Amino acid sequence: MKHVYPVLLMLFFTLQCFISTAQQSEKAVSGNFTQLPFEQFARQLESQTTLRFYFEPSVVDSLFITLQVQNQPVRSVLEQVLQNTPFRFAIDDENRVFITSGVTINPNLPGEFYQPKAGTPLAQADEAAATGPVARSRYVTASEFKVYEIGTASNSTRATLAGHIRAQKSGEPVIGASIYSEATSIGASTDQFGYFSLTLPTGRHDLKIRGVGIKNTRRQVVLLGNGKLEVEVEEDIVTLKEVVIEAEKDKNVSGMQMGLEKLDIKTMRQVPTAFGETDVLRVVMTLPGVKTVGEGSTGLNVRGGATDQNLILFNDATIYNPSHLFGFFSAFNPDILQGVELYKSAIPAKYGGRLSSVLDITTREGNKKKFSGSGGIGPLTSRLTLEGPLAKDKSAFIISGRASYSDWILKQLSDKNFKQSAAGFYDVTGHISHEINDKNSVYATGYFSTDRFRLASDTTYRYTNQAASVKWRHTFNNQLYGVLTGTYSHYDYSITSIKNETTASELAYAINQGGLKADFSFFPNSRHTVDFGGSSQLYRIAPGSFIPRGEASLIRPNVLPEEKALESALYLSDRFDITPRFSLSVGLRYSLFQALGPREVYVYAPGESRTEATIIDTVQHASNKVLAQYHGPEYRLSARYSLNDNSSVKASYTRTRQYIHQLTNTASVSPADVWKLSDGNIRPQIGDQVSVGYYRNFKGNTIEVSVETYYKTLRDFVDYKSGATLVLNRHIETDIINAQGQAYGVEFFLKKLTGKLNGWVGYTYSRSLVQVNAATTSDMINGGRYYPTNFDKPHDVTMVGNYRFSRRFSTSLNATYSTGRPITLPLAKYYVANSLRVYYSDRNAYRVPDYMRLDFAFNIEGGHKVKKLAHSSWTLGIYNVTGRRNPYSIYFKAVNGQIKGYQLAVFGAPIPSITYNFKF
Amino acid sequence: MRTFPLSIGRSLIWCLALLMGCTDSYLPEALESPPNYLVVDGFLNAQGVTTVRLSRTYAVDSKAVAPAELRANAFIEDEAGARLGLREGVAGAYVSAPLVLDPAKKYRLRVLTQAGQDYASEFVPVKLTPPIDAVAWRATPEGVDVLVDTHDDQNASQYYRWDYEETWEINPPYRPNVEYVNGQMRDIVVPYPTICWGSALSTAIQIDKTTALSQDVVSGFRVRRLARTSERLTSRYSVLVQQHALTKEEYAYWELLRKNTESLGSLFDPQPAQLTGNVRCLSAPDQLALGFVSAHSCTEKRLFIARQELPQEWDVRTGYEGCLPPDTVYIDRPNPPIPNPVVILYGAFNPLSGNLPIEPVYGPGPVLQGYTAKSRDCIDCRTRGTTVRPTFW
Repeated sequence: MKHVYPVLLMLFFTLQCFISTAQQSEKAVSGNFTQLPFEQFARQLESQTTLRFYFEPSVVDSLFITLQVQNQPVRSVLEQVLQNTPFRFAIDDENRVFITSGVTINPNLPGEFYQPKAGTPLAQADEAAATGPVARSRYVTASEFKVYEIGTASNSTRATLAGHIRAQKSGEPVIGASIYSEATSIGASTDQFGYFSLTLPTGRHDLKIRGVGIKNTRRQVVLLGNGKLEVEVEEDIVTLKEVVIEAEKDKNVSGMQMGLEKLDIKTMRQVPTAFGETDVLRVVMTLPGVKTVGEGSTGLNVRGGATDQNLILFNDATIYNPSHLFGFFSAFNPDILQGVELYKSAIPAKYGGRLSSVLDITTREGNKKKFSGSGGIGPLTSRLTLEGPLAKDKSAFIISGRASYSDWILKQLSDKNFKQSAAGFYDVTGHISHEINDKNSVYATGYFSTDRFRLASDTTYRYTNQAASVKWRHTFNNQLYGVLTGTYSHYDYSITSIKNETTASELAYAINQGGLKADFSFFPNSRHTVDFGGSSQLYRIAPGSFIPRGEASLIRPNVLPEEKALESALYLSDRFDITPRFSLSVGLRYSLFQALGPREVYVYAPGESRTEATIIDTVQHASNKVLAQYHGPEYRLSARYSLNDNSSVKASYTRTRQYIHQLTNTASVSPADVWKLSDGNIRPQIGDQVSVGYYRNFKGNTIEVSVETYYKTLRDFVDYKSGATLVLNRHIETDIINAQGQAYGVEFFLKKLTGKLNGWVGYTYSRSLVQVNAATTSDMINGGRYYPTNFDKPHDVTMVGNYRFSRRFSTSLNATYSTGRPITLPLAKYYVANSLRVYYSDRNAYRVPDYMRLDFAFNIEGGHKVKKLAHSSWTLGIYNVTGRRNPYSIYFKAVNGQIKGYQLAVFGAPIPSITYNFKF
Repeated sequence: MRTFPLSIGRSLIWCLALLMGCTDSYLPEALESPPNYLVVDGFLNAQGVTTVRLSRTYAVDSKAVAPAELRANAFIEDEAGARLGLREGVAGAYVSAPLVLDPAKKYRLRVLTQAGQDYASEFVPVKLTPPIDAVAWRATPEGVDVLVDTHDDQNASQYYRWDYEETWEINPPYRPNVEYVNGQMRDIVVPYPTICWGSALSTAIQIDKTTALSQDVVSGFRVRRLARTSERLTSRYSVLVQQHALTKEEYAYWELLRKNTESLGSLFDPQPAQLTGNVRCLSAPDQLALGFVSAHSCTEKRLFIARQELPQEWDVRTGYEGCLPPDTVYIDRPNPPIPNPVVILYGAFNPLSGNLPIEPVYGPGPVLQGYTAKSRDCIDCRTRGTTVRPTFW
């Protein structure tokens, strides 16, 4: 009876009426099938005939077909196929084929048994009956075969259907899932709230639903007028199969976006890392177009942009330092993450403020159905996540913490220097979501992370990131919804030195950013999606203070005055599907930046290199008075043209403006870097990028290939004069020069995310050049010619591979090669003006040795029983298998008049790690 | 599961070893064959003796001194081709007779090397340096600042560079009355000097410009800061400040040279820049030359500071703090075995030991026990300066 029940349900809910024309079961079919899953086999038969197959997919998933037939009647083919299996089939006079297990049914019902009554609110009534304590799969199947009647009948020919797609088990929204009607070629994808809006002709539709991490499903609707459709989908528990292909199919070829990389947490978990812990930023670095100067650094260089040109958003709040422990860990706990999106070109109009990219990191919402948890134990850190409903199906919380125990280890070591050293960090993230009613939801996120390290008892470094965001989402109607977001971000660091009482001091820096924004999405009809909104954020920076510590300290306090500025923007964009093949997205963002007083601003002699000696005036600005103002449009255009079902061409043009600059004159990002706002003496940076790409999918969308090329110009980004002082500098503009940059490149990307062997290979050829051609010759670098930036690495090959032996065992291999980064060498020394001088090469004229690394990981999953107290997995990894000593830093030291070069490899040996993860 | 903590522990130790990283020496090919460029150090003195030092660039990891450019033919040339020759002095120094250059003309330095290459600096105008108005000093909590004032009524100078030569008195703490000669201890014949004069040239680049001012006036520019504990302030200190008026181009050169070479290569050092100057090789343009040759006069002023003028509470060091108290070489111990004074004295005072005896030490009564001693640097002030009294002292 167990297997018959779904069939019965299906019969009840199927309203579709087929008109019988001929006895299709006698029609001949041909084919050559090898180990084909039954589902696909059925689809192929459907394509050759007008038959429709009905079966419970979970029941037939163990059935594989190996058969060779040539013009044989369907009935005889099915008999051959199901012979020696427990499955039976029946074909009715409407060409419906029913597959059952064990029992043969008689599909022919009495004529009056099944008479649909027009206008009956079938959906509500039956939905209630279908949920409840029955088995999960039964519920989902039921919803698939039920016909939902939406809205009330009206005269209009089109109607809008809106709603959410949520995970059935946890109630969390499914982001980026697509819902589409194949017949009309109209589709939509869900936003970050799992919300979709779809305008369709009235009438009957078969809506397919696909997404990452969910099982494919569909809904049948009769659309009479505007209405709502809430969809609950099953999570895909163990395998990444199918799901990813379908989602990527949308994105790669038919998606509007280009230069967008989307990674979900499951993909990220497969990539081996140095300390065995999933690391968002490390995985992002394996993508084409993303580079980093060194392996101990989480500073990203996206398409030739500097590390400060990436907007890193954590649930909409800006994170200023996304790293822990000198950059060996990223500051985001993997357990709470939903996924990341990296926009490399065609940045949507709603984002702004940075030149090169937007890295949008979102957390999960937490399980709305039941309490659960997960965690992991690794060689340097442990982490724990708890989540559960606050009010069932309405609100949920998730809280996650992570801490290192490196401090404890240092204490265990016998070396005195180590004993006095300390290195530790922790981070905590919490998120609450609550659905007030159908139209209103609120979300709140809090994030706190701190790092502290002390080197041999003298100097203590400490830095803290704080971020919070509160969102209120209001649906006005099916076609319009809005989100109001308040954000707060804080970053500060301090360097304390207390060894010598008389010079005990603390150097501190802090940045605070508070913002408010409103974003609206409007779906006037199926061909347009309009986004508009505005934002404003206030920056307050304490640019540096140097204060004595303790009574005995003789340090004179030096506190730089606060900097304040307001950055505001308005945007409007429209995605217009001109034809099903051709769509266009046109956006404009207009940003305004105002540097506010109180401030003292120096005026420099024109035409002279800015130095303290060329200050000709000092202007005092009153509190909140605008002392400098910059504004300008930011164009966001993109277009897609589908050549055919498997390939498309996309192009985009993006302009971005950036008003806050990170000052770092070291190659890698260090915790003591400061952020500086534009003001009267420092202009904002402006970037323009043109990008064209070709996208093609092979083998039924299982292999995805793309080629993207770009050309980018950067205006007025910050470069430094030789010997710049960046800390505690009251006239920082004397050490800064505005540089012009250009970057171009081609990115080849091949991705296969299904099958036993999956992963991706990317090759990038790119150049990133900078020119400092200042009016005054003394400020010029390399004679005003273009020279490579610190992160110009022309060739870059990265491979991330995963081989799955079985559902429990898998291995991952990560290989990366790139050209060494540029370096300026001291070529010779000489004696001038009573002192030894060094003759340097042109800036960045040489390169450090090429970078090469191979990592390996072995994953063991626990048993796959769905109902189990706790699921666990082990990850064994070796980072840098070959032990190659890739130089992290190259430096020169003068020892007794000799200048000697040294290279420091951070990971100069294979690093094994073992991590235990659990989930309950 | 029993092995779990062990694996973790092992990984941890690995990680820590790694956090320290591995440092290897780094010698890229570019450094193995360093460029051998001509280096020109000096200026064309518009009113006096021109001294130009010619040397070569050499490997950064070399321990040697800079190789001098010998047997070159160097001369000053004006735009009409008239030449004023320089004579080769010691170690690559080329010196002219006292000259007066015509401020209406432009001059350059021409160097024909022995290897047959022809180098020339750019033609530069002659700048006349205004006199130094004052060189003064001021006591600050940190120490002594030496300040310079100057001005140019014509507003023609604007860019300045200063260098200086310091001289100071050295008074060694010991007056030995014995000496060890040919394995014998004897009364001293020629006493060690009781006073020496140390001297040093400025190594830092001191430049300033007045372009942002309405008048060409430099007031209180600090050319030297001496720490209050500096040994140079022990008794008497003198500094001769020399002033050079620069062209804008030369000022830019010195500014960049200063930024370029005042720090070197730690992990977080700023970016250096390539810098050459205004000397070119005419016969082979790919042969670079380093240095900036300008033509200007030079003015100077001297300052004296005596210890008595400094704040009394300053604990000025003598530089001989490490020399006190003296050591003693005993010739009567250890016992047993019976000590051999000849061997002991040879061991203590042989020429390679670097030690000198100061005076005999007598035991109970008139018994000679040994000699007080200290290293030569503590006794002979000629290790730190010269005994030739400077003419200005």
